[in-house]
Amino acid sequence: MASLPPAMLHPHKLSVIHAHSAHDMFNYCMHSITLFIIGLANPLNLLIALSALFLFAFGVSGMSITVAVTLKSGDRFDILMGVLNALIARLSTTMYPQAFVQQANPTYATISRFNPVTFASDMFRWGTGIERYLTMSPMPLAAILGLVIFFLAFTLVGVTVYEKRLEGGGWQ
Amino acid sequence: MKAVLHIIEHDLRNFFRYKWWLAGLISMNLADLLIMAVVYNHMVSAEIAEQIRSYLDFFAPGVTVLGLFVSAFMIGREINMEVRRQIHHYLLSLPITRLELALGRLLAGGFRGMMYTSPLLLTTFVFVGFPSFPQLIVILAALFLLATGIAGVSIITAVSTTSFEKFVTARGLVYYVLFFCSSVFYPLSLIQTLGQEGVMPQAIVVLAELNPLSSGADLIRSFLLGTPAFALDMMRNLIAFSLIFTTTATFAYMKIIERR
Repeated sequence: MASLPPAMLHPHKLSVIHAHSAHDMFNYCMHSITLFIIGLANPLNLLIALSALFLFAFGVSGMSITVAVTLKSGDRFDILMGVLNALIARLSTTMYPQAFVQQANPTYATISRFNPVTFASDMFRWGTGIERYLTMSPMPLAAILGLVIFFLAFTLVGVTVYEKRLEGGGWQ
Repeated sequence: MKAVLHIIEHDLRNFFRYKWWLAGLISMNLADLLIMAVVYNHMVSAEIAEQIRSYLDFFAPGVTVLGLFVSAFMIGREINMEVRRQIHHYLLSLPITRLELALGRLLAGGFRGMMYTSPLLLTTFVFVGFPSFPQLIVILAALFLLATGIAGVSIITAVSTTSFEKFVTARGLVYYVLFFCSSVFYPLSLIQTLGQEGVMPQAIVVLAELNPLSSGADLIRSFLLGTPAFALDMMRNLIAFSLIFTTTATFAYMKIIERR
C-alpha cells in the first residue's frame, strides 16, 4: 500500500496526540473552574498553569503513543502503562509533599524531583494558589522548563516512532 | 471430581499465559508497598501510628488482600470473553456436567488468587513477622474463602454483562467500592470514628465493616500485628461472603451460559 506524503501525515499524527490530550485537559479545566469559583485561584496564574499543563498532557500522550506503537501486544501495553503509571505517580509529589518523600528515602526524593508528574502537580498547585507544598524553585519557571523539556522530548519521539512504525518511512 | 480437576488444570494453565500481566501486577503491588507505604509511614500521625505500629506494617496485609482480589477477579474476564466469542459452546459440549464445569471455574479462580498472592503474603511475613503454624493455616483458609468468593462475584459480573465495556465498567465499580470502603488502606477504627463524628455516612461505615476485604486484611493483621484483636466476626464475614457468592455464581454460570 502506497504511503501518504509525509506532509499530509504530520497534522494527522499531531491530531492523534491532541485527541488523547483532550480528555486530560477536560479534567484539568473542570478542576480549575471549580477552584476559581470557590475563590482559590489567581486567574492569571491559573491560565499560565493550564497552558503548561497542556504541554504535560501532550507529553504524556506522546509517551503513551511511543509505548503503544513499540509494543505489538495489547496486554503488554496495558501492563507496561500500568507499571509506568504506578511508578511515575508514586515517585512524584502528587500524593505526598516532597519533604515526606525526602524523609522516606533520598533516592525516591531525587527521582520525584525530576519527575514530570511532579512538575505538573507543582504547576497546578501554584496556579490554584496552593503554594505551601511546592517542590520546585523558582516557580513557575522551573516547572515550566521541566514541562517544556518533557513535552518536546516525548512529542518528538512519539511522532517519529509513530510515523516510522506505521508508514515504514523516514520523517523528512 | 476428575472433571473438576481437569477444569481447574485448564484454568491454571491459562493463568500462566498472562505472565506479563502477572509481572505488571506484582510490580504495581510492590510499588504500593515499597514506595507509597514507605512515604505514608512518615505522614501518619503519632496517635494513629500507635495503633498500627507503622503504616508499612499495616499496609502489607492490605496489599496482599488487594493482590488476591485482582487475581481472583481475573477469571471473570476470561469467562466474559468466552461468552462474547461463543467459546462457551465448546465447554458445554465437553462430557462433564454443568455443575462440575461451574465448580471447576470457581475453584480455579480461588486457586489462581491464592497462587498469585503467595509471594505477596511471603513478603508481608518478611516485613511484618511470621505467624505460628495454626495461625498460618487459618490465614490460608481465610484467604481461600475470600478468593473463591471474589471469583464468584467476578463470574456473576461476567455472565450478567453482554459486552466487554459493560464488564469493565461493572468491574471498576466493584473494585473501587470494595477497595476504598474497606480497612485495606486505613484502620477500621478510624472509619468508625469518622462515622460517629458524622464526617462519613453510616452506610459506608457498615459497608467497610462487612466488606470481606476488611475481614481478610484485619485477620492477617490480628495475627501478625496483634491489632485489631482477632474476632470470630472476621471468619463469619468471610464464610458468609464465600457461601453466598460461590452458590450464586455456580447457578448463574450454569443457567446463563446455557441461554446464550
